[in-house]
Amino acid sequence: MTLLEAPAAPERPRAKNEGQLERATERRNRRTYLALLLPGLLGLLVSFVFPLAYMVRMSFNQGSPDGVIVETFTLDTYIQPLTDPYYWKVTLDTFQMGVTVGVLCVLVSYPVALFLARSTSKYRGLLIAIAIAPLLTSAVVRTYGWMVILGTNGLVNSSLTGLGLIDTPLKLTNNMAGVTIGLVEIFMPYAILAMISGFGRLSPQLEEAAGSLGASKFKVFTRVTLPLCLPGLLTAFLLVFVLSISTFITPRLLGGGSVQVLATEIYDQTTGLLNWPFAAALSVILLVLFGLIIAVYQRLTRKIGG
Amino acid sequence: MTESKLSIVDLTKRYAAGLEPAVDRLNMEVEEGHLVALLGPSGCGKTTTLRMVAGLMDPTAGSIVVDGKEITHTPVNKRGMGMVFQSYALFPHMNVEQNVAFGLEMRQVPKAQQKARVAAALDMVQLGHLGKRQTKELSGGQQQRIALARALVVEPTLLLLDEPLSNLDAKLRETMRTEIRSIQQRTRATTLFVTHDQDEALDMADRIAVMNGGLIEQFGSPTEVYERPRTHFVANFIGQANFLDARVGAETGRANLAGESYYRVEVEGLGQFGAVGSAGLAGTTHELVIRPHRLGVSLAPGPGPAPLAGTIERVSYTGDALAVAVRVGEKLLQAQMPTISGDLPRVGDAAYLSWAPEDAYLLPAPGAVAERLAA
Amino acid sequence: MRATIKRKMAAVAALSAAMLAMSGCGGSSDAAKAGSATSGEVNLIAYSGVWQDQYNAAVIEPFKAKYPDIKINYASKRSSAEMLSALQGQKNSPTTDVAIMDNSVSTTGNKQGLFEKVTPDAIPNLANVPEKFRDKDGYGPVAMLDAVGLVYDTATFPKAPDSWNVLWDPAYAGKINVNAPPSLLGLSLTAITSKMQGEDYTKGIDGAVARLKELAPSVQTFAPNPDEYQNVITGQTVLGLGQNARGQFYSDQSNKKMGVTFPKEGTVYQINTVNLVKDAPHSAAATTFINYALSAEAQTAFAKALFYAPSVTNAHLPADVKARVVPTDGSLNIVPLDVDFLSSARDKWTDTWKRQIITK
Repeated sequence: MTLLEAPAAPERPRAKNEGQLERATERRNRRTYLALLLPGLLGLLVSFVFPLAYMVRMSFNQGSPDGVIVETFTLDTYIQPLTDPYYWKVTLDTFQMGVTVGVLCVLVSYPVALFLARSTSKYRGLLIAIAIAPLLTSAVVRTYGWMVILGTNGLVNSSLTGLGLIDTPLKLTNNMAGVTIGLVEIFMPYAILAMISGFGRLSPQLEEAAGSLGASKFKVFTRVTLPLCLPGLLTAFLLVFVLSISTFITPRLLGGGSVQVLATEIYDQTTGLLNWPFAAALSVILLVLFGLIIAVYQRLTRKIGG
Repeated sequence: MTESKLSIVDLTKRYAAGLEPAVDRLNMEVEEGHLVALLGPSGCGKTTTLRMVAGLMDPTAGSIVVDGKEITHTPVNKRGMGMVFQSYALFPHMNVEQNVAFGLEMRQVPKAQQKARVAAALDMVQLGHLGKRQTKELSGGQQQRIALARALVVEPTLLLLDEPLSNLDAKLRETMRTEIRSIQQRTRATTLFVTHDQDEALDMADRIAVMNGGLIEQFGSPTEVYERPRTHFVANFIGQANFLDARVGAETGRANLAGESYYRVEVEGLGQFGAVGSAGLAGTTHELVIRPHRLGVSLAPGPGPAPLAGTIERVSYTGDALAVAVRVGEKLLQAQMPTISGDLPRVGDAAYLSWAPEDAYLLPAPGAVAERLAA
Repeated sequence: MRATIKRKMAAVAALSAAMLAMSGCGGSSDAAKAGSATSGEVNLIAYSGVWQDQYNAAVIEPFKAKYPDIKINYASKRSSAEMLSALQGQKNSPTTDVAIMDNSVSTTGNKQGLFEKVTPDAIPNLANVPEKFRDKDGYGPVAMLDAVGLVYDTATFPKAPDSWNVLWDPAYAGKINVNAPPSLLGLSLTAITSKMQGEDYTKGIDGAVARLKELAPSVQTFAPNPDEYQNVITGQTVLGLGQNARGQFYSDQSNKKMGVTFPKEGTVYQINTVNLVKDAPHSAAATTFINYALSAEAQTAFAKALFYAPSVTNAHLPADVKARVVPTDGSLNIVPLDVDFLSSARDKWTDTWKRQIITK
C-alpha cells in the first residue's frame, strides 16, 4: 500500500528533481507489480469473478417448471428457500454433515499427521507421499470403491456375516453413514497435508521441557502437544468442512437419494428441474455459509495464535 | 568422603551397535551446591551425558545416582530436575507466568502458593514486571531468564543447563554468565552446565569436566584444569599453550606443598631449562606446557637467565595485549606481552624469550611424546 | 490509489466482456459450412452410455455407410434435461442440429421455440409414422418407444412378479431401488401408484403419497448407482424400477441374472422424439439424418440392438425381438402421463417426494 501512496512530506526541503525521481521509480515499481499480477488477475477474473457475478445475477431471475428463465429482478428465489422449513433443514443437514465429517476426518488424520510431522526417518518424504497418494485417484473412483466395500454384499457386510457377527447386512450405504465414511476417507489426505503444515510450532524440545518439568506423557500431550497442534487441526477442519459441504459426487453416489444437502439440491434444480435461478440462489446461500465459517475460523485462529 | 549429590558410574551410551560409544564408561561425582561444567568440543558426548542425567535418553550401561538413590531408569517427569534448553523451549502458547508455573502445576502445588512462588522466581531473574507478556514478545536474554526461572521455581534436585548462552550475543552472554552464577550461588542449586566455551566454564564453574571422545580427560577446579592440565588435549583446549617435547633431567628441589618438584629439562634444539612437574619424573620424556602470557618477551637481551634469542614472525595487536610468534630455531613459540604506547615490535625484529621454572609445567601423562622422541 | 485500481479493474472487465461478446457472436451461421442434403455434418445431441453405443452401431454407422459425405458429431448427455439446458444455452446461435430426447422435455423445447416443425415433404419417412406418434403441431415425431418396467433378480424371482405390489412385500424390505423424481421412473411410479389407489392423479396424489410412504423404509436407494440395473445384477437389491429396453439389454448382458417385466396394473410409456433444432446450422443434412432415423431399416436395427419399439408402421421385427419390446398396439395396460400435465406436476411431485416420502 505504502508503495502506491504519495510520499510523505519531506522533513527538509529537497531538490525538486529528487522528489520527481523517487516518484518515477515508484511509478515504475507499481507498473512492474501490476504487470506481474495481471495474468493471475485476468485468469481469476475470467474463471472466477465473472462466473460468480453471472451466478449472482442469475439468482435474481425467475425460473419456471418447464425450464424457461425469465430475466427479471426478483427476490422470490431467496424468499422461497428462506421461508421454507425444508430448505432450512437441508441447510442444517449440510452444516451438520460438514461438521461431522470435519471432526471425524481430523480425528482419524491427526495420529497420522502427528507421526509424519515428528518423524525423523529418512523415509519421511516417502511416507508423506504415501499418505497423500489417494489424491492420485479421483474422488469418483474412490466413491465407487466405497460403494463396493459398504454395499449389502460388500466387503464389510460379507465379512461380518461370514464371521457370524450379524444376521442381516448393515445398511452402510445409500444413507448419511455411507456418505460420512466415504467423505472422511476421501478428505484425509487434505487434512493430513493441512495439519503437517500447521504443526510448525511443535518441537521435540518443548515436549522434553514439559517432561522435565514433571509432566507425564499424557499431560505433555494435553498441555503442550495438542495446544500447539490446534492451529493445524483447525485449518484441517475448516478445509474438510468446506470441501464436504460443497462436494456433490459423494453425497449423490453414496447417499442413494436419501441424503439431501445443498449440493445435491443444487444439482437437482440445475439438471433435473432446470430451475437455474433457484439453483443459483441456493449456491449463494451455500457461499454465505462458507463466509460465516471462515469468519469464525479467523476469530478462533487469532485467539489460539495470540 | 562427603556424600555426593550426583554420582555417575560407568555411564555408557552407544547409539547403535558397532558405532563408537558417544559416552564411554564415564564416571563423575558432583558435590552438593556445585556448578559443574561439562566442557568439550562438539561431539565429545557432553550433551548426551546431560540428556541421560535428565532422563531424556536411556543409557546403554552404567548408572546415575542422585542423593544416594539410583535413578537410572526413572522417567524424566519423576526426576524432579530443572532443565534449561539451548533454544529455551518456552511454551509459545502460554504467557510468562504460565510458563513458570507449569512445573508447579504438574506438582499440584496449591494455586495461591504457585502464584507466590512464580512471583518470587520472576523477581529473582528481575522480570517480575513481565509476567503477563507472551513469550515471543521477549528478547533472547529475557527468554533465557524465564527459562531459568521456570527450571528453578520447582526447587530442582539438579539444575541442568544445555548450552544456555550460545544463542545470545557476546555482550549479553557475559552479563548472563554473571547472573546465572550469582543465582546459582544464591539458590545453592547443584548444577550441570554443558558448554563448549572455555571462558564460560572457567568463569562460572566450581568444577570442570573436560570431555573428549566420550571420556572425561580431566575433572577439577578451573585453576587445576588451567594450571595443571593432565593431558595435551586439556592444555590445548583450555587457553593457549606452547608445547615442547622435553627430556626430564634431575630433580632440583621441591616446588610446592602439593608435592611437585623442580627439574632440569632439555628441549632439543633449544637447550636446558627449569620446569615444574609432579614428583618422580626424572629420567623420563614428557611434554612441557608454557602459556603464552607466561613467556617473557623482551626486544633486547636482558639480564635474565639465559634467554632464548629468536626472530618475530607474526604480530597481532588486540588492544589489551600483543601476541607475537617468535621463531627460535625450528620452533615457533607463541608469546604475549602487554601493549606499549611506543613503537610496536615488527616482524623480523629480534626477540628474547625467557620463563620462570614454575611457569613451565610438565604434563603428567606421557602420551605420544615418548614415542615421538624415540622416533 | 483505490480509484486507480478501480479504474483499471473496470477497464479490464470491459475488455474481457467485449472479448466474451465477440466470441459469443463468432458462432453465427456460415452459409459455406452449412453443407447440402448429402454432405457436411450433423451435430447430434442424445443420450450417453449404452444408448449411445447401441445407437452408434445400429443407426449411425449404417447411415455413414450410406452417406459417406455426412459426418455425425455425437454429443452425449446423461438426461434429456441436460440436453435441454445445453440447447437453451445456444438458443441465440445454435450449434446443434438434431436432438433425440424424452418427449416431455422436447415438448418444453417446442414451447420455448427451440425446435423446427418438420413435414413429410422434407422427410418422406414421416409418412410411415402413424398419427398418434406425430406431434399435433408438427414438431419432431416419436423416434422410438419404451416403457417403465419392474426389474427383478431372477434368482429371487424364478417367475417374473406380475404386480407392482411386490414392491411393498416386507420380504424384500431394504432390497428395493426406486429412482425418485425428477427421474421419469419416479414420476411414473407416482402415477401408477395413484391409479392403483383409485385416484385421479391429475387432481391429487394423497393416496399415492400415503402408499409410497409405506414403501419408502424398504427402499435401499432412491438414486441407484451406477444405475438401477447394476444394483440388481450385483445383488445390492432384488427389485427395482427400470426401463424395459435397457432392462432387456442388461438381462442379456448379465446372462439373465436380471429380468424386466410389465406388471398387470399397467405402466407408463417413455417416448423419445427426434427433433430438428430451430436455425440448425446444417439443416439439410440434419433432415437427411432424421429421415434415415425414421426408416424401417434404422428402426428395426435399433429395436434389435436395444429393444426400443419402432415408431413407424413399416418396421417388422422378428418374433423374439417383438416379444421383448414394449407393445404399441394397445395390448399393454398404459397409465397415460400427459406431457403438459407432467411439466406442471414434475416440480410438485419432486418436492413431495423429497419432503414427505424419502426417508433418511
